Amino acid sequence: MTAGRNGSHPTPWLHRFLAGLVVALLASCPAVAGQLDRAGMEQYFPVPLVVGERDETLPVWPILKQEAGSYEVFAYAFESVDFAPIPGFGGTPPDLLVALGPDGAFRDVKVVSHHEPVFLEGLGSEPLFAFVEQYVGMSARRPIRVGRPNARGSGASPQNTVDGISMATASTRVINESILAASLAVARAKLGFGATNAGLTVVARPDADESLTVSELSARGWVRRLTVTNGQADEAFRDAGLTAAGDGPPEAPLTDLTFAYLNAPAIGRSLLGPERFGALMRELGPGDHAVMVVSHGPENPLGEDFVLGSIPERLTLTQGGLAVNARDMAIERRGGAPGLPDGPWTILRITGAAGFDPSAPWTLTERIVRERGQIFPEKIARDFSADYALPARLFIREAAEAGPSWTDPWRARGPELGVIALALAGLVPVLMRQTGLVADRRRFPAFRLAFLAFTLVFVGWYAQAQLSIVTLIGLVRAATVTHDLAFLLYDPPSLLLWGFVLVSLVIWGRGTFCGWLCPFGALQEFVALLAKPLRIRQVAVPPRLDRWLRQVKYGLLAGILVAAAVGSPLADSLAEAEPFKTAITLYFVRAWPFVAYAAGLLILNLFVYKGFCRYLCPLGASLAVLGRLRLLDWIPRRAECGSPCQLCKVRCRYGAIRPAGQIDYPECFQCMDCVTIIHDPGQCVPEVVARRRGKRILPQPVAAE
Amino acid sequence: MPRSPSRPPSQPRRRLLQGALGVAAMSTFGGPLAFRTLAAEHGLESRTRAGLAFGTTVALTVAGPDAGTLDGALSDGFAAMRAVEAAGSLLRADSALSRLNRAGRLDAPPEHLLTMLRFALDLAERTEGAFDPTVQPLWPVWAEASARGARPDPATLRAAVACIGWRRVSVATDRILLEPGTALTLNAVIQGYAADRAMAALRARGIADAFVDTGEFGAAGTHPDGTPWRLGIADPRDPGTLAATLAPFTGFAATSGDYNMSFSPDHADHHIFDPATGYSPGGLSSVTVTAETGLVADGLSTACMVLGAERGQRLVAGWPGCSARFVGKT
Repeated sequence: MTAGRNGSHPTPWLHRFLAGLVVALLASCPAVAGQLDRAGMEQYFPVPLVVGERDETLPVWPILKQEAGSYEVFAYAFESVDFAPIPGFGGTPPDLLVALGPDGAFRDVKVVSHHEPVFLEGLGSEPLFAFVEQYVGMSARRPIRVGRPNARGSGASPQNTVDGISMATASTRVINESILAASLAVARAKLGFGATNAGLTVVARPDADESLTVSELSARGWVRRLTVTNGQADEAFRDAGLTAAGDGPPEAPLTDLTFAYLNAPAIGRSLLGPERFGALMRELGPGDHAVMVVSHGPENPLGEDFVLGSIPERLTLTQGGLAVNARDMAIERRGGAPGLPDGPWTILRITGAAGFDPSAPWTLTERIVRERGQIFPEKIARDFSADYALPARLFIREAAEAGPSWTDPWRARGPELGVIALALAGLVPVLMRQTGLVADRRRFPAFRLAFLAFTLVFVGWYAQAQLSIVTLIGLVRAATVTHDLAFLLYDPPSLLLWGFVLVSLVIWGRGTFCGWLCPFGALQEFVALLAKPLRIRQVAVPPRLDRWLRQVKYGLLAGILVAAAVGSPLADSLAEAEPFKTAITLYFVRAWPFVAYAAGLLILNLFVYKGFCRYLCPLGASLAVLGRLRLLDWIPRRAECGSPCQLCKVRCRYGAIRPAGQIDYPECFQCMDCVTIIHDPGQCVPEVVARRRGKRILPQPVAAE
Repeated sequence: MPRSPSRPPSQPRRRLLQGALGVAAMSTFGGPLAFRTLAAEHGLESRTRAGLAFGTTVALTVAGPDAGTLDGALSDGFAAMRAVEAAGSLLRADSALSRLNRAGRLDAPPEHLLTMLRFALDLAERTEGAFDPTVQPLWPVWAEASARGARPDPATLRAAVACIGWRRVSVATDRILLEPGTALTLNAVIQGYAADRAMAALRARGIADAFVDTGEFGAAGTHPDGTPWRLGIADPRDPGTLAATLAPFTGFAATSGDYNMSFSPDHADHHIFDPATGYSPGGLSSVTVTAETGLVADGLSTACMVLGAERGQRLVAGWPGCSARFVGKT
């Protein structure tokens, strides 16, 4: 009679099921779904390999090979975006095709798609293809780090190091983590190793908080030690033909590591104190974990060769036989915890994508290396481990059944939304009541500068709500391909602004956004303030050239929208004409060509005021087109405007007033300068003349065209 | 045959199958490409699709005039296997059978589960309990002992044997109930039954010529070149060589053996248990049964392993259209 192996252990399969749920949810999200179908897979795994029927629950394809009539599993193939959509430097997750053998070794890694600017625009994709080739033959059971270029050639272990690419450190790290995190998720589901699944989140229970001393923590096993004495080390190296390499008495400790899991407040707060614990928890991303290791002893894995921010070479954290990627957090080093031993320490960050389960046992392993021989010493390594486990009551286990909800960002960003909504509510009456603040030529400029500062610093740099042509690209793609507008919901401040801008478009035209709410526009305006002290004179663009240049932005917009509609990646490249990502989203921390471009536009702005906005900006172009729906010709005009008076036309820094006096609304940035003038009896020429004649005349709105 | 589902499919027992498609498709014609070429010469398209199910590799091969029909049929065939897995696989925590084992009761059980379970209980009655789907409690005992390199201690084993008994299961169309401590396994019949369902799905698409490998085998019609399907049976002690060849082969065949998932190197302890003792039966190394359905072939082959050659032969004789081949222990 027969019995099945798994009858008594339902939990791993439950995990697998839940992982499947999560993956199904991820797969339903347009931004991160894999791209390859059966035919696509067959191109990567040609005959004699056979692409098997796709797994029912996970987007994993068994790759089989036929041997003498029967099939054997050659590898499990999957796309990394399905399991670990980690955004790359270009904002889009790279998609890597990974083939993982049944033994956990990488059979193949290929780049399906990526948007890493450094490869797209600089180095070309060849170095990237060569980079991922390095994984073939390595095992997903070990942590793999990206070393320096030619790290392997200079002695780094080819089992756990891949050669990095200079200038592409960030991109290669994202790719490395995508490969490893996705492989771990698949290995756990399909190969049965590993402790947990990516679908399960286990977080420290915030209310399980008590103040404990280090000795109390040690007594509970919540702070543990990994000690190896000289004698134990000598014993371990004896079979390698190394005897008594250590100096010092055999019972004295050679290495002495104290380590603890920090996210649990009872441990982390007790060890670090409330302030540092709070700061650490803020720095950790949601789902991330932190483990502290203090080294006290002559053999020191955190010694001189330890690089801040790196994955420690001689410390490994494993769970369920699988290494967990743990990277030093490179945080403030000063000060320690009372009662913890002296010595160098590290706080290791385990990202949420690693699938680490802090409520399950794990192991810290230190590798001790000794050299044999004198002239060409051979390195011999021995591993020493200590186990760590915390009680389940310290944790909340949650199956991520619902996936990330769109309501979360709305709740989390509620304060930002409130501030922005208040600011908009304050702006509207100011712009509407033209005889109020607008007419006050001393206080209104101050208000305007203050509001622009708010737009730049709060809306742009802090709330990251710079509206962008990228959203329109997303809309076009949603209309043509994905039919899903849900992506808009995940960025509440931008959606709020989009809503406001669409309403203001209909009332006032594009100017409300371009002149008041665009952070890059505000930045240009501040930079332009430098023109006077620097004695830079505006370059007068000849009217014909000016008219021609204004059309460029419409051409660019059309190019981007067409490219997006036909599914061409050119849309993303063309969208880089917009310096918003560089200047606002990334705070100018980006590859130098992008920074040079954004800085160049700001300098151009000193000579040709807001030249980018007027001639190039595809977002402005799209708003100008939509602004044709404008209902109001709201800028007051007089019969004298244009003939004979040219004051407003000359003062308009945007060239949005025609010689005949009408307003060119698609080019108007709603700076209100001309409105201030027309309401100022001391500035508006017709009024000055009229007053001399003892009459008072009122301005009238005049049709624009 | 084999029922050690959760092991990744590179297990040695799969080499036995080299006989299977091996003789039918490979050794005679020199590989899938040659197979397709030959089929094309006869005006037929042929398609093979492989995948993973029941913890092993499975494959469907079909031939017919229209490639689109073949692809649709293959998808249906795999869907049929998935449906059987969803009903009765212990490898899936969400299968109806897993839920039944956890809860001790299952309302509105799926049709596939009822069919397999009713057949298994009927076979248990006919063999007076030599075949018994309630041996599942033995598995954790043996797996745990094997993990520490020992045999289970007799007291633990006796406690598990006390939970076995096919009468402890009551089956009605709307509900299945288990007595406390009882747990079911259908691994003795599920792959054979899946072969039935896959073949039925192919037939429903009008496929006349097909070869089904779910770990057990089914064949219909002929090879696309007009010659009969043939099935090789591997030598249980040397899976690289063939002990016998069934030719022509139509209908269904199932093999049970001690080589597949052994707890001991001499194959004395393996994944097939005698429900009366909790130990593996001693007499046979493998049994191959051919029958009109995979369900019958699969169930009988397991029952024969426990009954031994003589009583097994008598059991098989009671089923029309069945025959059995026995290989003794060496």
